[in-house]
Amino acid sequence: MNKNEILEKLTPIFRKELEMNDLVLTDELSANDIDNWTSLTHMLIMTKIEETFNITFKLKELKKLQNVGDMVTILEEKTK
Amino acid sequence: MYSNMNFYDIVLSPILESIRRFPLRNAFCIDEVHYTYSQLGKCVSKVRTALRQSIYQNPKVGLVINDDLETYASIIALWLEGDSYVPLHPNWPLERCLDICEQVELDLVLDSSANSRYGGGGIFVLNTKEIDNAPDCLELKYDVSEDELAYILFTSGSTGKPKGVMLTRRNIAAFMDSFWKTGIEINEKDRCLQAFDLTFDVSVQSYLVALTRGACCYTIPQGQVKYIYASTLIEDHKITFGAMAPSMLRYLQPYFEEFDATSLKACILTAEACPLNLMEEWYKCATNTELYDFYGPTECTIYCTYYKLSKGGNNKTLNGIISIGKPLANCVGLILDESGDELPTGEKGELCIAGDQVTKGYWNNPEKNESSFFLKEVDGKQMRFYHTGDLCYKDADGDIMYSGRLDHQAKIQGFRVEMGEIEYHAREFLGGKNVVCLAFDNKDALTEIAMFIESKEFNPNEMLAYMRTKMPSYMIPTHIYYVPVFALNSNDKIDKNVLKSLIK
Repeated sequence: MNKNEILEKLTPIFRKELEMNDLVLTDELSANDIDNWTSLTHMLIMTKIEETFNITFKLKELKKLQNVGDMVTILEEKTK
Repeated sequence: MYSNMNFYDIVLSPILESIRRFPLRNAFCIDEVHYTYSQLGKCVSKVRTALRQSIYQNPKVGLVINDDLETYASIIALWLEGDSYVPLHPNWPLERCLDICEQVELDLVLDSSANSRYGGGGIFVLNTKEIDNAPDCLELKYDVSEDELAYILFTSGSTGKPKGVMLTRRNIAAFMDSFWKTGIEINEKDRCLQAFDLTFDVSVQSYLVALTRGACCYTIPQGQVKYIYASTLIEDHKITFGAMAPSMLRYLQPYFEEFDATSLKACILTAEACPLNLMEEWYKCATNTELYDFYGPTECTIYCTYYKLSKGGNNKTLNGIISIGKPLANCVGLILDESGDELPTGEKGELCIAGDQVTKGYWNNPEKNESSFFLKEVDGKQMRFYHTGDLCYKDADGDIMYSGRLDHQAKIQGFRVEMGEIEYHAREFLGGKNVVCLAFDNKDALTEIAMFIESKEFNPNEMLAYMRTKMPSYMIPTHIYYVPVFALNSNDKIDKNVLKSLIK
């Protein structure tokens, strides 16, 4: 999957879990920018991503995710 | 019940001793940077000197709780001066923080932020990052009474305003004395996790246990996803001791197989009900740890009861939730009926707590102080008890089993939340429409908040945006249901069971 395809699938997940209907995903966006991006919402987002892309994350992979850009990169890898 | 320990001997002197004895050992690891005890001592001296040069009347001082050395050093500096801190969270709505400033009539705020949100309105802001270094200023000032405050923590209040719990130096001293009497041992070689916001009192246990023993305290920066960052700290820095909320482990459970937590010697589970099945799984990756379930409301200073689990043994549970055990050394815990009489073993009633850890009360809130505390004679002595609002019973061994809340309060991500406060703000926005909030456990056994509005369906975004300006994000409901008319029960009250059944 390419970056655009991934972002198209990621956007509704982030919008729903963070309850922000007009959220635009950028590479730099991280939990630091959004108050509502807590442990709980992060866990819900990851679960949704795993379901949507039919993949599972390793803890090692989750630790490397610092922002949305990292997420896209890892999803590009995993959906090759 | 009554501790003969004082704040100087069990808190301040040991911290100063750590600074003197271990100048080159690490006191903190904050955002991957280590700070030695010598650096901590210099930072405390700097803030204390600046405090002495500042003009303020109110010994209760606001503290913006950034995740940095200055913020922790400020706590010690304030205590050395005989002052107390009132944490102000940088991510909470400003209006809520200003309400706290106003309630306590703060005239000084310590803030290490580049751009402070405070200033004006009679508040002087001391930027703790910009002050000059100062000569050592670490001597004790011995004229401070044990009844002076150490901190005020604001928790959710059902009237729509946060309420402040006052904790004194005596309270903290009694707590630390109780804590060490549980047998947990920490020394300068330990690496301790500090996974809690400074607005939440488990943070006080987390930094004090480390600093009074010369150990290193590992914090979690704001803006990091807590459970992932904590797992990184545990693995990369070989954390040996830490207190965690069970939900943190619940999030990590899918990864337990690859999670190396073998460095943990002791681990405290607290702030939420602790499920046995999760602990049995946790033992499998934290193979060298002793597990403890600690319980306590802020009003009784961090923890007031504890239960030590036994690995592979028979751990006591009620509905899958581990017992909260027996009262700590400086606490009395009784199960009382509605008229205040002690109930026999096995009968459910309200857990009430007395002893030196019990707060002297809520700041400026006579009504709440009247209703939350009472005197009762125990073994010929008058004791002052706190109503915890928790429904419990004691088993034949005296271990306390937790059964639920008596009132309309829930724990969300470890934070106490009054449903009434959320309802209040939603009603304010909706112009008096009927609103009910209920906490429920989702399929992952995590507590979420559902809000029911007596109305046709509408787009809730504006309302949610309004609510976010009033309350921290953990208080914002995650599910909204629209109900044309609320069903009533036989007492003509809104039937919450009917509403609860709507939760999908």
